[in-house]
Amino acid sequence: MSAPEDTHPSATASAAGNRSRLVRMAQHPVTRFILLRGVLHTAVVLLGVIIVTFGLMLLVPGDPVRIALGTRYSPEAYEALREASGLDQPVLTQLLSYIGNALTGDLGVSFRSGEPVTGLLLERLPATASLAFAGLVVGLLIAIPAGIWSALREGRIADAIIRVTSQAGVSIPDFWMGILLITLFSSTLGWLPSSGYVPLSEDPLEWARRLILPAVTVGMVSGSIMTRYVRSAVIEALASGWVRTATSKGLPRPQVLNRHVLRNAVVPVVTIVGIQMATLLGGLVVVEVVFAWPGLGRLTYEAVAARDYPLIQGAVLLMGALFLLINLLVDILYAVVDPRIGRR
Amino acid sequence: MSTTHRRSRLRPTLGAIAASALVCGVLASCSGGDGVDIDESDGGSSDGIAVAIGGEPDQLDPHKTSSYFSFQVLENVYDTLVEPDENLEMQPALAKSWTQSKDQLTWTFTLRDGVTFHDGSDFTAEDVVYSFNRITRNDLPNAYRFAAVKEVTAVDPHTVRIDVKAPTPNLLSSIGGFKGVAIVDKANVESGDITTKPVGTGPYALTDFTSGDHIDLEANEDYWGGAPKIPSIRYRFIAEGATAIAALKAGEIAWTDSIPPQQVESLSEGDDVNVGVVPSNDYWYLALNEKRKPFDDVRVRQAIAYAIDRDDIAQVTSYGNAEVNQLAIPKDSAWYTEYDTYSLDQEKARDLLDEAGVEDLEMELMVSSDYPETVDAAQVIADSLSEVGIDLKIRSLDFGTWLDEQSKGNFDMLYMGWLGNIDPDDFYYSQHHTDGADNAQGYSNPKVDRLLDSARTETDEDKRQQLYDEAATTIADEASYIYLYNPSVIQAYSPDLSGYTVRSDRAIRWRDASMD
Repeated sequence: MSAPEDTHPSATASAAGNRSRLVRMAQHPVTRFILLRGVLHTAVVLLGVIIVTFGLMLLVPGDPVRIALGTRYSPEAYEALREASGLDQPVLTQLLSYIGNALTGDLGVSFRSGEPVTGLLLERLPATASLAFAGLVVGLLIAIPAGIWSALREGRIADAIIRVTSQAGVSIPDFWMGILLITLFSSTLGWLPSSGYVPLSEDPLEWARRLILPAVTVGMVSGSIMTRYVRSAVIEALASGWVRTATSKGLPRPQVLNRHVLRNAVVPVVTIVGIQMATLLGGLVVVEVVFAWPGLGRLTYEAVAARDYPLIQGAVLLMGALFLLINLLVDILYAVVDPRIGRR
Repeated sequence: MSTTHRRSRLRPTLGAIAASALVCGVLASCSGGDGVDIDESDGGSSDGIAVAIGGEPDQLDPHKTSSYFSFQVLENVYDTLVEPDENLEMQPALAKSWTQSKDQLTWTFTLRDGVTFHDGSDFTAEDVVYSFNRITRNDLPNAYRFAAVKEVTAVDPHTVRIDVKAPTPNLLSSIGGFKGVAIVDKANVESGDITTKPVGTGPYALTDFTSGDHIDLEANEDYWGGAPKIPSIRYRFIAEGATAIAALKAGEIAWTDSIPPQQVESLSEGDDVNVGVVPSNDYWYLALNEKRKPFDDVRVRQAIAYAIDRDDIAQVTSYGNAEVNQLAIPKDSAWYTEYDTYSLDQEKARDLLDEAGVEDLEMELMVSSDYPETVDAAQVIADSLSEVGIDLKIRSLDFGTWLDEQSKGNFDMLYMGWLGNIDPDDFYYSQHHTDGADNAQGYSNPKVDRLLDSARTETDEDKRQQLYDEAATTIADEASYIYLYNPSVIQAYSPDLSGYTVRSDRAIRWRDASMD
């Protein structure tokens, strides 16, 4: 096992060099330890999520079985459903069997529709993934240019305008933003469909058309938040020693920016993207309701209202798992964008 | 049972989900829209329509679901033996005629010939027996409608006999009032497909149910009432009223009832959308827990009935789209009775409280956050009651918990609505008879019990009307319920949609509609 290549952040590596660096990094014991730690950490947190979700369900008022049955039911029907849903078992037994089943991908059966929860969740995943990904792309398309521009013009009028705009973007509630966009682009101009979703596999063009408005709604909010982070990361990089050194060596400005400033700004930005995903997943609930988007967010919202316990638990668990997975990926990305990681 | 009545708001409210709510009475399906966005490949066709309802059906088994969203679809998929027309009079449907025996204990129904289910199987008397027995033997939500029924028998493939325990003048509305008593297909039930792929005999057959997104119906060319003109209907689930209205204006949908009441006025002004506002047979009411002091004292209940301002309450909840009413039944109904004892009179309210010896009363009003308008109205009620020295605390619960608390009797006063009422027996008996299944307030008056018992079996229509007049008046006089208002049915649709009627029972029927 060789030591990782001593890469200065400003070194330009070819694609092949990058690949070999990755391979060597992955073989490095420290990197392995970091990855293992990340995976273990994820598993422990996920277990915590299961227990907390399960506990919350016990704490909310009302008997889920009675709620599921409505007002007219026989005592036999009540007992039968309690037994079928395992609610007649001691709490610890319920929890353990839930964890056991969850590990095998069995998240129980929805109270409301009688369908397996896992299937219901997987059905909704593509719509949510489309929206989250497109929203993030829109957010980055806003944040990266705006953040860099703002940082380079620090203290000038353009900087002020961008800062005020991003503050406004953060402040506008996303459902309101969504309604404004629908009113303008669908009912007034008639350019885009107001709502609904078409799977990518069915009609890619229609998928993209319907994705625009909700993705812009999601992206504007997260883009506004990320703009500030990009801006401060670039300002920090501009103030660093090696930028001063490079500039004094007479390196042309574009090269200084490309090699030294932006590359160093990538690390904090990657972190922010990870954190943003959480905000994004939360915001999707509202945006999905406004756009009648058949995703996980709306499913969760409906499940909560219907007191569909197994479905709520499953949805929260899946959201939690997605979030943890994203964070794990961010940790790994970190190792890629910041090669010093293997030397710590 | 309570309503699944809902309105979407500019903030996403949980009212959108009526899945937990219970529907009584007649409900129906819905919808229309330009089929421009419907993809040929998934069951739509370019001349079908799309329509938007406020939420997704929990399931599509008509005997088991209690969600209005389900019935908005099922109204067009299923038939009943008889069905209500626009004036809520019962007309032939799967049964073309019926007779009663002299002693009125036997009804004989002659069924239509040549009717088939959407899967091609024949509809016969056996299907009627199977459907009704399924409801009663499994104690499904509508079993109470068959309380008077002793036995259902298939005399021959086209004749059904129903034996009743006593003369039952409202039998027709019990077995045909709404699609919760529809005739289902045994094979469809036994395969378990009925929850997602129901098979009926109705004007439209269900071709696709994509959870979270849409339900597609296709015209049944062999429908006994003639093939529908609109070839296909796609139901979309749009909870947000602003989105639904934008979709309607953009021509993506042809019909929606997902309309915030505060937008009715501005919508009506334009000519790009037709708005239908019809008084419904739903009513909203307050009820006091008579098992708790001092609400067992009729004077305290009357004081509250005098102290509240119904006009304000109706304004807050419905923005003018409601009729204030001190009894359950709206003006347009054949069962309407004039009654206006409780005009706003806070002086009188204070006197009644003094007489009852009640001072500094503190009480709680239980409302449901799933019906946000009730939370708003609760504040108006609290304000009125403070004028007569009553300190009202508002307790807002999700609807499931609300129902739970109601059935346990954990409340001082509650605020709720009932939906789609046709025959007075459907609701007066269960809510105000001592043995009524929904008498959560614990009202008990032997005189009212007698009136309701005899009205149940009185076959002379005028006499029956008199009995209900007297019962309803007594119920209101003694404030078993404090009735508030009848909300309007609000629907908006494309000017190109014709032959469609906004009905007071909220049944949404597409079979006679067409798109120009």
